[in-house]
This record gives sequence, structure tokens and C-alpha cells, in this order.
Amino acid sequence: MENSQDYVIEMLHITKEFPGIIANDDITLQLRRGEIHALLGENGAGKSTLMSVLFGLYQPEKGQILYNGKEVKINDPNDATALGIGMVHQHFKLVDVFTVLDNIILGAETVKHGFIQKAEARKKVEELSEKYGLHVDLDAKVEDITVGMQQRVEILKMLYRDNEILIFDEPTAVLTPQEIEELMTTMKGFAAEGKSILFISHKLNEILEVSDRVTVLRKGKYIGTINTAETNAQELSNMMVGRPVQLEVVKDEAKPTDVVLKTEHLTCPSHIHKNKKAVKDVSFELHKGEILCIAGIDGNGQTELVRAISGLDRKGVTGKIIINGEDVSGAPVDVHSKNMSHIPEDRHRHGLILDFTLENNMVLQRFKEPQFQTRGFINQKAVREYSDRLIEEYDVRSGQGSITIARSMSGGNQQKAILAREIDRDKEVILAVQPTRGLDVGAIESVHSRLVAERDKGKGVLLISLELDEVLSLSDRILVIYEGEIVADVKASEITAQELGLYMSGAKRMERKEA
Amino acid sequence: MKEKFFERKSVQSVTASIVSILIGLIIGAVVITIVGLSDSSLGIDSVKEGVSLIFAGLFSTGRNAAGTLTWGFNGQNFGNMLFRATPLIMTGLSVAFAYKTGLFNIGAPGQYLMGTMTSLMIALSLPSDRISPVIIWIIAFICAMLAGAVWGAIPGFFKAVLNTNEVIACIMTNWIAANLVTWLFDISNLKNEVESTKMGYIYKTTYNGVATAKLGLDKIFMGSQINAGIIVAILFAIAINIVINRTTFGYELRACGSNRQASEYAGLKSKRNIVFSMAIAGALSAAGAALYNLAGNTEFFWSTYQSLPAIGFNGIPVALLASTNPIGCIFSAIFMSMLDIAGLQLTNLTAYNEYISSVIVAVIVYLSAFSLVIRNMVVKVVNRKKEGGKK
Repeated sequence: MENSQDYVIEMLHITKEFPGIIANDDITLQLRRGEIHALLGENGAGKSTLMSVLFGLYQPEKGQILYNGKEVKINDPNDATALGIGMVHQHFKLVDVFTVLDNIILGAETVKHGFIQKAEARKKVEELSEKYGLHVDLDAKVEDITVGMQQRVEILKMLYRDNEILIFDEPTAVLTPQEIEELMTTMKGFAAEGKSILFISHKLNEILEVSDRVTVLRKGKYIGTINTAETNAQELSNMMVGRPVQLEVVKDEAKPTDVVLKTEHLTCPSHIHKNKKAVKDVSFELHKGEILCIAGIDGNGQTELVRAISGLDRKGVTGKIIINGEDVSGAPVDVHSKNMSHIPEDRHRHGLILDFTLENNMVLQRFKEPQFQTRGFINQKAVREYSDRLIEEYDVRSGQGSITIARSMSGGNQQKAILAREIDRDKEVILAVQPTRGLDVGAIESVHSRLVAERDKGKGVLLISLELDEVLSLSDRILVIYEGEIVADVKASEITAQELGLYMSGAKRMERKEA
Repeated sequence: MKEKFFERKSVQSVTASIVSILIGLIIGAVVITIVGLSDSSLGIDSVKEGVSLIFAGLFSTGRNAAGTLTWGFNGQNFGNMLFRATPLIMTGLSVAFAYKTGLFNIGAPGQYLMGTMTSLMIALSLPSDRISPVIIWIIAFICAMLAGAVWGAIPGFFKAVLNTNEVIACIMTNWIAANLVTWLFDISNLKNEVESTKMGYIYKTTYNGVATAKLGLDKIFMGSQINAGIIVAILFAIAINIVINRTTFGYELRACGSNRQASEYAGLKSKRNIVFSMAIAGALSAAGAALYNLAGNTEFFWSTYQSLPAIGFNGIPVALLASTNPIGCIFSAIFMSMLDIAGLQLTNLTAYNEYISSVIVAVIVYLSAFSLVIRNMVVKVVNRKKEGGKK
């Protein structure tokens, strides 16, 4: 048995209930000093709830929290901060219009005679950022810096407060592969220094790479804690999901047939710099029965391309878009969506109406169809039945079924709901933009197999993804986009990750024959 | 899983409103007590009378020969309460409807003025010897709604096309309406249709034989101004409730109001819907004005363009107190009118003046803005009770 002095934080037998659901059911988590402890679980497994309990945002019904072996009561985040607990939230808590420095010192300002001592603060932040290699422009406004830098600001915030226990809530969900690499190095550096890290994630390879031990939760229950060195991805994912999981995408060779989506010399203006072009002369063809992936590092024109193809952007867009044989260039969204499903990148902003019930979200494009209305009156019963069927078929989990408010659902289930809605619309083209972003392996598996199934039914799937693993395993053909241009057009089976990386970073390009 | 009574959102909203109202009434009673005790001409008996009138002024029937207050059913009070509630229900609906679709309609006063002007001008200028007054009434009512719709659509249009804030645009259209109405009354030949000796512009539609049908309501509420307008207003509230919650049109408007971007992704025409929402809100306000001015027993007195009709602004507290529920607007508007009546009773029967009721309304309006906070307090109490029950 280990001495309890080894643990800096122990959460013992924590139980936290919400109406209709037990989010944490007798969960124990023990964090050693100087270790990176991963907390693994599917969406809705109770990871965030457990961390919110530790951070003082929720009070558990049962259980106790020990700090250095002594019981403590954490009533609010101030108590947590006093214990040296810091957290990088999945959605950053930064003031957009403040500078980086202001954000870092916010709430922990050094004050002399009522005046903020910015020079002192600046010195301390500069030292920290130098020491840990966390480079940021202290005078830039947060709204102007990249997501990766914003995360560094969050990390610096914790360091500035001399936190010894650092919680990272799904920190890699928003990062590019390079940024993830840097973050891993930083985290290891912290641990080597004696700081203790709780790393919440559902990305197995990251957990295997960086953590010392893993605690697995499933549906609010504690499954076990194991040493990372003694396990592998398959075992972890089985623990997490509760059944053997297929980590590799299983699919047959694609049998592409007719062209179902075609762009000709598509050029789109940039969203950030109005005068620049974000997409330059892009021509490609998507066939029925294939998954075509547009791969690239974030910000190389994918957003603009998607908005043009879906009909959201029309201003300044030149070139042709042909969906299912119909030229839809310059037409509004509903003309595009007549033959195309769209799984948008940002499910909160674009995919769902968060204040609507799940059932109302399920019919967002379809409520005017005859089956859901009679003379302008919504057929509530038909909507309910339809929604119940989708929930059943696509395993969308929520507190109250069809009448759940979308906002209260977990991210993974929100995504499943969007997927259910879009796939069930049964259109020739499926435009899937980062369909597995922020999802756990169980959910990723189901999204992937759904998309493959749709492909096999003869649909054309246009996948936009930033994740190399997904690009390589799911797609049949890959187009690499770099600075708005297609720089490679290859079969997925004929390219390696390294080579793909070279194309994505612009180090290499392929001469294409005109599509 | 069935929700308990107090866990239902609707019940919590209603409870929050009732809490706001009670706090308002209690503060009113406190003010009466302080005023009464600090003024040597009033004293403890006046305080008792004042407080009882604040809570039950509606049921006051005056004083008997012995000089004590008498109580009972007062048809005049009830009728006048419902009459005063009629336009308030409509402006409340106007604000509530816009709010449900994600817009804040502070333009109700301007829309109300446009409705006032249109209904009056039509009701007075169409010849009642050749056209039936009923037809004139209907034409005036519909045209008023159209005028209000146009006036509401203007801020909606600017919001949709230029993404300007509808609140700013509404405030501007309010004042434009005030000046426009003055100017149009000025150049019209419909000046002072009651007594030419009075100052300002005074109109009364009965001058042309136009008045809202009473449908026997005046028999029930003897001596009051009530007419069928209240029924029209209630029917409007029910219709709006159905439109918002049960129709594809309402669904579309709510979707665009809640999340414009997601609605655009789904192919909905969010710009068009914003204009529609504001137009309907404007039409509702203007309909309220028409119901009031076509009543037949009202005079419209317009002396200056430097004021905006309070009924328009009062639509905001009516809607907030009802948690923007259209059916709730009926009750909150009636309640606000009841306070008016209580204030009048206070003035008529005691040495207090009616402004006490304004204090109460002000407190309630203030609290209704915090309705969410109060609702959360209600939720907390409910939860604590629940946990207490478990242990």
C-alpha cells in the first residue's frame, strides 16, 4: 500500500446527482505529486462533473476530498485556487477585448495603493513564458491571437497563480498537430518539476504518450485506474466504452461511380482579410460511393470552401458549383441543401438551436415537409415520433429524450443528433466538416461507420478534417489544401502520414491535371 | 419521468411573477404606512384603509353613511379594469411576440401612435351615412394594423439588411412617429372633432357613429366603459400563442430568433423573418391603439409631439411580468389595470393620491426585469425542499 502522503489530491467516493441522472456514482480519483494523471471516459461519462466538483463549481452529495491527506471543503473556485488548483477549461475563459497580459493577471492583480502594478506582473509573466517556452505576445488582444496561443494564455494564467495542481480539460480538441506536440512537451516539463497534472481526454494516443496513470470512467461509474505503461489503446478503449471497440475503420475498397458534386475554378474571398482570396481556383469532382477528404492545416481555406459549397457565402464567390447535376452557383442555401446534407463544423453555432428541444432540432430543415405539418400547423405527434425514431436508431442519449433542451446534452450526443438529422435526410452528397471533433472513441467509431455505410449506399461524402488519423483511415481519396489551393490529389491507400504532412505544410506539391 | 408541479418551468415562471407582484404590493403598503404615520392629517385608520384599498381596491364600493369603506362586487371597477387592459394586452403581446423571436421591440409607442392616427382618420373621414359604421370600424382596424406593421417593419428591415440594433432604430422610429402624427393631424381637416374650442387636437369616433360593439358586456359591468375589445384582445393572445408554438411559421421565426446562424445553415430566410417578426409586433401594437380609440367612449387628445403614449412602453412590463408568454400577457395586463383602478379608488376615497399605485407598478416593473433571478430563487427553494424531504 502507498502512503497517503504521496497523494496531493484524493477524491474519495464522490457522488453527484443531477435531476434524472447520476453524473458521478462513487468515484475515486487519487492524484500523485508530479504525475500526469489522465482521466478517460466517453462524452457524458462524468469527467467534467468530477473536475467541476474538484474546482468547487458543484458540491457532491457524497464523498470527500483530501488535500495532502487532510480533508478539505471546496465551496467555490476561490477555495480551489487557494489550494493551488488551476484549470484550463475546454472552452477558454478569456476576455476577448483584453490584452494577453490583462487576461493573465485578471483576478490576481498585484495592487499598490489601489493601482495595478503592471510592470511587475509583466516581468513575472515574461519569466514564466521564457522558462516554459510558452511564447505569447503580451500586448496582443485575445481576440486577435490563435486558439493555440489562447491556450498558452490559459496555461500562463495557472502558472502566474503558482498553481501546483493543473487540470487540462480536453486541451487538444482545438489544437493543430504541431500545437499538440508542443503542449505534450510542456506538460511533461511541468510534471518533471513536481507539478501534478490532471489530463482529461478521450484521445487514446495522447493519453498513452503523455500520462503516467489513467483513471477510466464510464457512464458516471468508476471503472479503474491503471499504469499507462502496462496498457494499450485497445484495452483502454474497451474499458471506456464497455465493449470491444473497432479502432480502425473497416471498409471495403470504394467503388466510385458518377460525379455527384463538382466545383469548377471555385474562388472565394477570405473571411479575415476581405481583399485576399482564401480559396483559389479549386476544381474537383466527388463521385458517388466515395469518401473524398479535403485535408489541410486549419485556416487554409477550408471554412470558406465549405461555406461556398453549402451556399452560405455567395458574395464574391466565383466559379461553378454543381450538385447532383444541377448548377447551384450563386443560389441560396436551400437550393444547395436540396441534394446535400451538411454536418457543420461548429455544432453550437451552426448545427443546433441550443434553446430548442431535441425534437425541434431534429426537424430544423424539414418542418415544412408535408409529414410534419398540415396547413401550416406543426404536427407535433409526427415530429415526436420522428425524433424518437432517430434517437433510438442513432443512440442519442439525453436526460428527457425528445423534449430535452439541446443545450443540456453532452457534446457527443449533440453531434450524434446532428448526424442523425443530416444522414436521415437521405441526400446524394454528405458534406461532413470535422464530424468527430471533440468526440470519444465510441462515438467516433459510430460516426465513421455511419459515413462508410452511407458511402456504400452510393452517397458521395465530402469530408473536411484536420486530423491526420481520420484523414488516412476514413477517406478513399485525399485532396490537400494549402493556402487555398489544392496541392495534392492522391488515393488514401497510396500515401503515408509523413508525405501527407509535407503536402499540408506546403513543403511539397503535386502537379495536377485539370479536373 | 414525470416532473413535479413546482419543477415545471411554467409553474416557476408564474410563481416568480406572483412573487414580484407580492413584493410590489407589500412595498406599496409600506409606503402608505410611512406616509400615513408621518402625516398628521392621516393617521392609523387612514393607513388601514389605504392598505386595504391597495390590495382590494377592485372590490371597493365606496363609503357608507357612517363613513366606513364598503366592499363588494363593483361592476364599474371590473369593467373599467378590463377596458383599460385591452390596449395593454395588445402592446404586451407585441413586445412578447418580438421577444420570442429574439427581438426587443421598444418601438411599441411609435407603432401605437401610427395605429391611433390611422384608425382615427379612417373612422372619422369615411362617411357613415353611406357606409355602415361596422364596416368603417373593420376598415379602420385593419388599416391601423397595416400602418403599425409598416412602422414595425422599418427597424426590422434595418436590422436584417444592415444589422443595426433594433432597439436604437425603434427609439428613432418612435420619435419620427410622434412628429409625423402631429404633422399629419395638423394638415388634416379633422381637427377637434368634439369641441372646436378645446386646445390641441381632440377626436372622438362616435362623432361619426363609429364605436366598438358592447355585446351586452355593459349590462354585466354596469356603468363601465367596457366593450367587446377585450374579447378581441384575448382572441389575439390565443391566436399569437398558437402561431408561436404550433405553426411552422412560428417555429421558423423562433428558430431565427434563437440562433440566426444555425437557421441560415438550415436554409431558413433569417432576414425575411426578422422583418416579419417586427411587422407582426407593430401590427399588434397598432391593433391595441385601434381597439382603444375606436371604442367610442374615448377621446383622443393630442396636444404635443413631445410625449409618447405610455401604453406602448407599458407593453414591456406586461410582457416581462408574463415571462413573454402570450396567454400570460392577458393576466399581467389585467393586473396592471387593476392597480390603476386601485389607485383611482385610493384617490377618490382617501386623502392619498393615485401615485401610490404608480410606485407599486414601478416596483413590480423593476422586479419583473429580475424575473429570471427570482425564478432561480424559486428553483433553489424548491430544490432545497426536495433535498430536505429526502434526508
